[in-house]
Amino acid sequence: MIDTKTAESVLATARSHGADFAELYLERWHRRTLRIIDREVKEATSGIQYGAGLRLLYGTDVVYAYTNDLDRESLVELADTLARLKGRAGSVNARGGGGLDFRRHQVKGLHQPADPFDTKPKRYRLERLLELDGGARVGPEVKQVESSYLEWEQDVVIANSEGLWVEDRRVRSRMNAMVIASADGDTQTGSHGPGLSKGLELFDIFSPAEVGRTAAEMAMTNLKGSRAPAGTMPVVIGNAFGGVIFHEALGHLLETTSVAKKASALSDLLGEQVASPTVTYIDDGTTPHGWGSSEFDDEGLPTERTVLIERGLLKSYMVDRVGALMTGYRPTGSGRRQDYTFAPTSRMRNTFIAPGETPKEELFSGIELGLYAKTMGGGQVYPGSGEYNFAVREGYMIRNGEVAEPVRGAMLVGKGPDSIQRIQAVSPDLETAPGMCGSLSGSLPVEVGQPHLLIDEIVVGGEA
Amino acid sequence: MTFNEAKAYLLARARAMSLEVEVLATESRELTLNSFGGNLSEITRASQGGVGIRVVVGGRFGYAYSEEKTEEALDWILHEARENAELSSADDGFLPEGSSVGHRDLISEGLSAPLAEKGERAIELEQALREDERTKQVWITHYTEREVLEELASTNGAEGGYRNGFAGLISSLVMQEGESIKQGVDISVEKEFHALDPMTTAQKMIETTARHLGARPLKTGLYRAYLEPRVVAQLLGVLTRALSGKALIEGKSRFADRLGEEVASDRITLVDDPTLSDGLASRPFDSEGTPARAVTLIERGVLRSFLHNSYTARKAGHENTGHASRSYRSTLGVGFSNLSLQTGEGVDLVEGVLVTDLLGLHAGANPITGDLSLQAFGIKIEGDERYPVENFAISGNLFELLKRVSAVGDESEWHFTAGAIGAPMLEIESLSFAGA
Repeated sequence: MIDTKTAESVLATARSHGADFAELYLERWHRRTLRIIDREVKEATSGIQYGAGLRLLYGTDVVYAYTNDLDRESLVELADTLARLKGRAGSVNARGGGGLDFRRHQVKGLHQPADPFDTKPKRYRLERLLELDGGARVGPEVKQVESSYLEWEQDVVIANSEGLWVEDRRVRSRMNAMVIASADGDTQTGSHGPGLSKGLELFDIFSPAEVGRTAAEMAMTNLKGSRAPAGTMPVVIGNAFGGVIFHEALGHLLETTSVAKKASALSDLLGEQVASPTVTYIDDGTTPHGWGSSEFDDEGLPTERTVLIERGLLKSYMVDRVGALMTGYRPTGSGRRQDYTFAPTSRMRNTFIAPGETPKEELFSGIELGLYAKTMGGGQVYPGSGEYNFAVREGYMIRNGEVAEPVRGAMLVGKGPDSIQRIQAVSPDLETAPGMCGSLSGSLPVEVGQPHLLIDEIVVGGEA
Repeated sequence: MTFNEAKAYLLARARAMSLEVEVLATESRELTLNSFGGNLSEITRASQGGVGIRVVVGGRFGYAYSEEKTEEALDWILHEARENAELSSADDGFLPEGSSVGHRDLISEGLSAPLAEKGERAIELEQALREDERTKQVWITHYTEREVLEELASTNGAEGGYRNGFAGLISSLVMQEGESIKQGVDISVEKEFHALDPMTTAQKMIETTARHLGARPLKTGLYRAYLEPRVVAQLLGVLTRALSGKALIEGKSRFADRLGEEVASDRITLVDDPTLSDGLASRPFDSEGTPARAVTLIERGVLRSFLHNSYTARKAGHENTGHASRSYRSTLGVGFSNLSLQTGEGVDLVEGVLVTDLLGLHAGANPITGDLSLQAFGIKIEGDERYPVENFAISGNLFELLKRVSAVGDESEWHFTAGAIGAPMLEIESLSFAGA
């Protein structure tokens, strides 16, 4: 995408205008999406995203520009413009003029696909989605099955004024199923969407028919459900996507993006007890083929496994370059961005609560009346106050220690720092699930995860 | 090559390949200045663009786009679009008969101002937010502006374009009083740089955030709800999904077969008007080149129309309303522009909960079923006594809620999300609140 000479002159131009640090990020991203409804292909799209982002740091001040013009002249001109925006066009820094000796990082290909996208015709994807559709037809109540498949092949080059040179390829694919079921004038939905840093072998790892069936059964369960009750009660949260609650309630509060500006409810608490001792919370960018994995982060640092909370004690934040400059904390390979249109900020990768020791049945046994939030939907948080919410996509009442009738339309509401103190017990059955996380540097693939766990008290938003 | 050259290249190549094609080329420019500690700590300047094509092969639609403007990349998207079309099922697709719809400039010099002055707006906003002693931290204070040039052309004769843009102030602050911490987020948008007013924006931001400090738990129960305009706008955003002609033909709208029927209280009249002269989301024509016009969607509670593009209108047997929406990266859809709920007689705050904000709409509001379960923020109203409440959720069904509107406010407020939504306050006689 770019030769070292061009990169060098762009970075040197920036440095010669007094920037302490300059970084180029270039990207060519091939994306395809196929969407079908009731066995009919509704839309098939292919595209190339192509652009460059140039970031200059003056101390901790950030100047960022992006463009689709990747030729040498445009990029050098961009570096000039940025310096002018910062009011530094006049300044000259002799140090910046020198040549850069780029150190190329060896890519190991840790997350590369077994079956790259060009090994099979488009029809192959369609046939798999038709299998998904077939698997979702579990009863006459199923009125509509929508499914989609997306495949991404993102090539990036990251070069900076410290001589870093990283070329990385991120390949991802994801299936999605959405089922609408109706009976007696009532309509409910169910969905399921596995994804990994994999190629077409995704279809071998997750049977499409099974994906369809899982979504359909959720819709059928919701159809049988009554409205969730309202009030404060104990809640058992299911594994895998259940982890979204701590993604919202805890994860976002540990990103230096908010921590460094003291805009997080968990700023300045390193070494403190922030969660109950049953909680160990890990953000791992190295999980082989994880949906949120990559060999390098978007600042060119190798990703790592970061233990954030160990037995309730806050061990580390998620730290990007600017976050490290502002706080003095060690960078954790957490600098991420949606694409070239965003400057990187500290973000989650694959984040999960580590397995505990309480058998799953025991989580339920002491509960007279509570909620079992088996599958979660998305959520949202205000990191400053820690106030968060998330939707229950499939839920059941717990009565006298047993999982009872299904309920729907529940939303869990709380304050993060309070809720994590209220985790009473964690089971061993850790699973993870993919999601898209939106924040300051755009929308990113992340995994959330957890084992089944018990929270002694949380507000359930249902029908009063 | 430039975007115009890319557009011309694609049209010529498509004709040579006997492909019907519609080309959408977009170029945008962005400037964002963030003030932190009285200093412009983050500056973003961008130019971005791409071309997206929709081809029709034997009545089948295929899509592809590129931001790379080399012949190789453009040939690739033509090839991919044709392959994608061949994969599609429906064979009743078509490109609308196009015409020359002209080139318009909807902002002219609206964003012209020296850079330093723009930076000042962000700095003034931050300083004003910090002046209140309860301000614990100011997380974001952005001045942002965006200018977009859209160009459309098709082998069926469509040709035209327009330039649009806005300037805005975005802020997020955290306030504290005793143990109570509250965060507020807001965006104010104008078509003219000089219409931005950091002082008023800051004052409003402080008021709307500080009024929640010292919040108490809310007891679970049924209360009369007063939904502030921002909340109404949030809910209308969900409602537009049911009014979409695309949702209709895909079997995902609860309003299917309900045209001419009562779907809401007779206090509800909802209009989308892309032609408003000062509308934030106004446009001369839609993404297919169909001239824009105002459409009444719900009139005194009666469903009058869906939002349609040429394809959804023909499929549904309705008239095309000129609401085609497509970015160069996306497929053909429908989209509202300036959507507004008509004002009413006014609302008296007597007894109940004033709902000031909702969170979690993307997961807690189901646009197909209308089921809502959403985190809410509010003020409890007991006659003359008022106090903030927290940690609760509202639940119900959007379609049922619309029927239970018992009063409509007499003042409207615009909010800017996917399009612009103008709404007054709504009173709902009874709503379910889950809390302590």
